[in-house]
Amino acid sequence: MTTVAVPRTHRQKEIRRHLLLYAGMTPFLFIAVFPIYWMAITAFKQEADLYRMGNIPFWFNLPPTLKNFETLFYQTNYGYWIVNTLTISAWVALITLLTAVPAGYALARLRLPGAENIGIAIFMTYLVPGIILFLPLSRVVASLGLQDSWWALVVVYPTFTIPFCTWLMMGFFKTVPMEMEEAARVDGCGQLGALVRVVLPVSLPGVLTSVIFAFTLSMQDFLYGLAFVAPGDQKPVPVGVPTELIRGDVFFWGSIMAAALLVGLPVAILYNFFLDKFIQGITGGVGK
Amino acid sequence: MTVLPAGDGAESTTRAAAPPVARRSSAAAWWRTNTSRRLAFGYLLLAPAALYVALLVGVPFFFSLYLALSDANVGDPVATFVGLENFRAAWEMDTFWAALRNSVVFLVVAAVFKSLLGTSLAFLLLQNFKGKKLVRGLVVIPFTLPISVSVLSWKWMYDSQFSVINWGLHTAGLIGAYGSESWPIWLGQPHLALIACIGVNVWRSFPFSAIVLLAGFTSVPLEVLDAARVDGCSFFQRFRHVVTPMIFPILIIGFLFDTVFTLSDLSVVYLLTQGGPGSATQILPVLAYQIGIQAGSLGRGAAIALMLVPLLFPALFLMLRNLKRRDW
Repeated sequence: MTTVAVPRTHRQKEIRRHLLLYAGMTPFLFIAVFPIYWMAITAFKQEADLYRMGNIPFWFNLPPTLKNFETLFYQTNYGYWIVNTLTISAWVALITLLTAVPAGYALARLRLPGAENIGIAIFMTYLVPGIILFLPLSRVVASLGLQDSWWALVVVYPTFTIPFCTWLMMGFFKTVPMEMEEAARVDGCGQLGALVRVVLPVSLPGVLTSVIFAFTLSMQDFLYGLAFVAPGDQKPVPVGVPTELIRGDVFFWGSIMAAALLVGLPVAILYNFFLDKFIQGITGGVGK
Repeated sequence: MTVLPAGDGAESTTRAAAPPVARRSSAAAWWRTNTSRRLAFGYLLLAPAALYVALLVGVPFFFSLYLALSDANVGDPVATFVGLENFRAAWEMDTFWAALRNSVVFLVVAAVFKSLLGTSLAFLLLQNFKGKKLVRGLVVIPFTLPISVSVLSWKWMYDSQFSVINWGLHTAGLIGAYGSESWPIWLGQPHLALIACIGVNVWRSFPFSAIVLLAGFTSVPLEVLDAARVDGCSFFQRFRHVVTPMIFPILIIGFLFDTVFTLSDLSVVYLLTQGGPGSATQILPVLAYQIGIQAGSLGRGAAIALMLVPLLFPALFLMLRNLKRRDW
């Protein structure tokens, strides 16, 4: 037997390289995706199928079912939670849009004295964790008469979406050429006119990104929802599912997984598309 | 305002002096200048965001200091000043020390695993291969999924009897049958429970570490690397002397972000174990919640939450220094 290596073609080399890379990626993919796969398959399994340890659990041993989803919508407040989640996020996105976009523009473009420090200060507030703020905020929420209503979350969530989105918008506005704005001013636009007619339209992708983040970051919260909203029909999904679907030691795993999947997956996918912007935003690399 | 940059000041005075009409009232004249209008417009645009953040982050932060020094509780709105009583009480709680120790262990152990997994994944994702976009999209799902939702999936996987992890281990012959000595009850045994909680944190954040590293790597211009190669640098020399210094600022920010998140997150432990068994997985955020909201003792809860500040402060300080140094 001769073991002299056969000279490889470029193609063979590429195939070999790909196989090695895929082999390296497999454990990571498995770790990352398995819990989600497990969630998905559990959601469609019959109750009895969950508790048969004799069979291979990775696939259906009894026919798949939609019963878990039915239970969710007919016997729990899940429908309310979805509406609450979407309404809260929409309000938060609106508040964020109306505050963070102008602030980002002012800090990036208007050469305000101290703009740099104000920008950093606003960004640093994004890093003050909710766990330090939630007790004093519970007093604020109570004094506004909003305890036990999802409106409390509409008031509180902008505390983290505004800092992040202001920072993000600063980056976007810096990339718009100053000349465009100056041209608009020469053509007779006022300060506001230049912003609304020229700068905003070209920054639309940035504005959209901010809206998406306000939306998805609102759905990542658990602490505030847990602390401020007790009534079952007022909760958003990420709080309602773990607190209401688990009753004592009884776990309705099928419904819990169905509930988690139905909202978690769309959020994860949406966020996925904007993840690079998020990383750019926090590492400060925006607009460079 | 004493910090007006010289340029702006000069501009406003020359402009104000130019039209003779403006001399009549200097205040009105100043108001008519472009600079003053720009500044007024700017601060007007900035005000809503700045006020929102000041009122709902700044004020509550200082209010929490006040709460920590008072005997405020949920039922009784009148709080009296009690000095450091809440901190002294926490100091004497065994649970507090357990929580502090677990928070630190959690942070350090999780950081080690996140760095290892994150770095290897980043190196793999740095290569070009077919299907890279799909792989990347799948591998970051743990980070993008709302955390309370993904913890539920783990709670089911850690089930005492129907754990799929145990099924796998049992089928591979590594552990005995359910009920036997070697059947791990993930959330019921002290050490295992802590490992289980740390595992979920690592699972959630290692894609974040990888993506941050990747952003760092790709920010190094290829020309610089080529130049170093031409000058005779080996792979490790290039990595040590060229890549590392260039990506360090990004790395530190990613690292600090993760530190803040890991230290202050309550959802993993709260949903998996509530700090149990005993106080084996008790951490400061969960303890602060249990005492501040569930037991209604706002003052004591605030004091415990503030104990996170000494742990967070170095991270925030480094972050601030890093941001300040950046050229704008």
